[in-house]
Amino acid sequence: MKIGFIGLGGMGRPMVEHLRAAGHELAVWSRRPVSADFLPPEVPRAAAPVELARQCEIVCTNVTGSADVAGLAAQLIDGLAPDSIHVDFSTIAPSVARAIAARYAERGMHFVDAPVSGGTAGARAKTLAIMWGGREELSARLDPLFACLGKSAVRVGAAGAGQVAKASNQLVMVAAIQAAAEAARLAAASGVDFAKVRQALLGGSAASRVLDLFGGLVMVAAIQAAAEAARLAAASGVDFAKVRQALLGGSAASRVLDLFGGKMQARDFAAGVEARLHHKDFVTTLAEATAQNIPLPVASTVLQQLDVLMAAGWGMDDTSRLLCVLERAGCNDFNERNTT
Amino acid sequence: MNIGFIGLGLMGRPLALHLAKAGHTLHLWARRAASLDPFKDVGAQAHASPAEVAKHADIVFTMVADAPDVREVTLGADGIAAGSRKGLIVVDMSTINPNAAREIGAALEAKGIEFVDAPVSGGEVGAINAALTIMVGGKPEVFEKVKPLFEKMGKSITLIGGIGAGQVAKACNQILTGVGVMAVAEAFNFAAKNDVDVAKVREALLGGFAYSRILENHGQRMLDRNFKPGFKAWMHQKDLRIVMEEAHRLGLMLPAAAATAQLFNAIVGSGMGEEDSIAALKLLEKLSTPDQ
Repeated sequence: MKIGFIGLGGMGRPMVEHLRAAGHELAVWSRRPVSADFLPPEVPRAAAPVELARQCEIVCTNVTGSADVAGLAAQLIDGLAPDSIHVDFSTIAPSVARAIAARYAERGMHFVDAPVSGGTAGARAKTLAIMWGGREELSARLDPLFACLGKSAVRVGAAGAGQVAKASNQLVMVAAIQAAAEAARLAAASGVDFAKVRQALLGGSAASRVLDLFGGLVMVAAIQAAAEAARLAAASGVDFAKVRQALLGGSAASRVLDLFGGKMQARDFAAGVEARLHHKDFVTTLAEATAQNIPLPVASTVLQQLDVLMAAGWGMDDTSRLLCVLERAGCNDFNERNTT
Repeated sequence: MNIGFIGLGLMGRPLALHLAKAGHTLHLWARRAASLDPFKDVGAQAHASPAEVAKHADIVFTMVADAPDVREVTLGADGIAAGSRKGLIVVDMSTINPNAAREIGAALEAKGIEFVDAPVSGGEVGAINAALTIMVGGKPEVFEKVKPLFEKMGKSITLIGGIGAGQVAKACNQILTGVGVMAVAEAFNFAAKNDVDVAKVREALLGGFAYSRILENHGQRMLDRNFKPGFKAWMHQKDLRIVMEEAHRLGLMLPAAAATAQLFNAIVGSGMGEEDSIAALKLLEKLSTPDQ
């Protein structure tokens, strides 16, 4: 089985190496020929994407954005044989992934969106978390390929579902980074050594009052992010259980996503940690932020969600109720919208 | 009439002078003796404590920084309540948490003292020109007694409801002005970063549905890059803190005020707390520019 690869950048290059090391026969196309110089001469270089498509049963792309993938797909479609697969590892809009998949399906070919988490380090170390969307029966042909590239590969759902999971991954990860940054700022403004705070939080032995507040800030922001990921999945018609499973293999993995995400998935809102206690801690934290003149935008937004949670009468429930706060605003779930 | 006045700062001083000019006898207490200097020529009597002021006055005004200060001068040791006679009226013109106003009002009423909360909008200029907007909470019959005095200080005087209602109106005012200033600053920064003449944008918008007094007045000062207060950024930060305290207590969704409150933390934290709240523009400009 010959595999084509387009996109020989920081991510693509180590992925190509791993595929070759696993014994797969490879061909490539690159816009600038110099990008393929790391490969020995016997690896075929196609003259154009459509030529590569004619030679290969599976074509992988790992490029930048939606427009790049759509542009390549428009060329590949004229070269791919029926039942062949285009696997795109790029991070693009779910709607673009769905549209390409629909166009391919009309001509009997397959499009799989398979964005990854783990960065170039993960690509080099073969530890990527791959979250993919596409027809289930493609697993048999794709799993051996994915096994060469990462430590986990989860089929999240139909085409586009991989991108929904990746969007959730970024949401959860960057919210956590921002929450950590806010905890660091709060520590600095309060004259507390953030290195010690971090060490204590990582050990899960938050003993003092100060640590409670920092721990709360990072933890509840992560719970909120998990709730938002769950809503995004539901609104996109994607199974959150699968999204969570995929994310737990990648950079966004956390105890919060595991435990609180699990409670959201099971819709088990029994405490746990009573949400009113988190609300109380956040009121204290934001008062401290105002006293120290530091902006904590994520903490402030999370507290607003906790305010609504309290107003709804869920203070004695688990903080995973933040999911229900999100459900009270905005659109219905994808499945409800499309059955009524 | 014998009138007590406690809190002779930027706002309180001109207001007390208006009352003296109208022929009333002022009874004053101030933490710092220097605050009494402007009142040497108007026949005002200085006293040793708020309690002493209360003993000599029919109505006592307070205009201090925050709820703890109001509590201290009304209910604290040697506070107004300690020296009150039956039928005394306390008028608090400070901006404080509405719930704190209700608690202070109830505690004073329990001692036979009437209370109205009467926060103001209009800033130092409005106080000097007797052109303030005064938002009042309290009993209608008490309001009627104080109203002639309010008319010496402001142009627009409205009884909003019971005790605390004036502070609720003021909190609403601060949501609108805080978010409004931020919105104008965002629009101006957006226009400037698109290389469009901000003055022209303002001029055009003043004729349309986005017209507001903030766009007109604050917008002009932004164009002039005149960041002199006006209304200091740290005071707006404090007032939005009050708004958000109530949001947290009552479970209210106030996302725009919440975001704006964080931006005011940043303005004060960046060292611009003593400038006018239109310093919001400078913050947004800084955050929209590459770091050196």
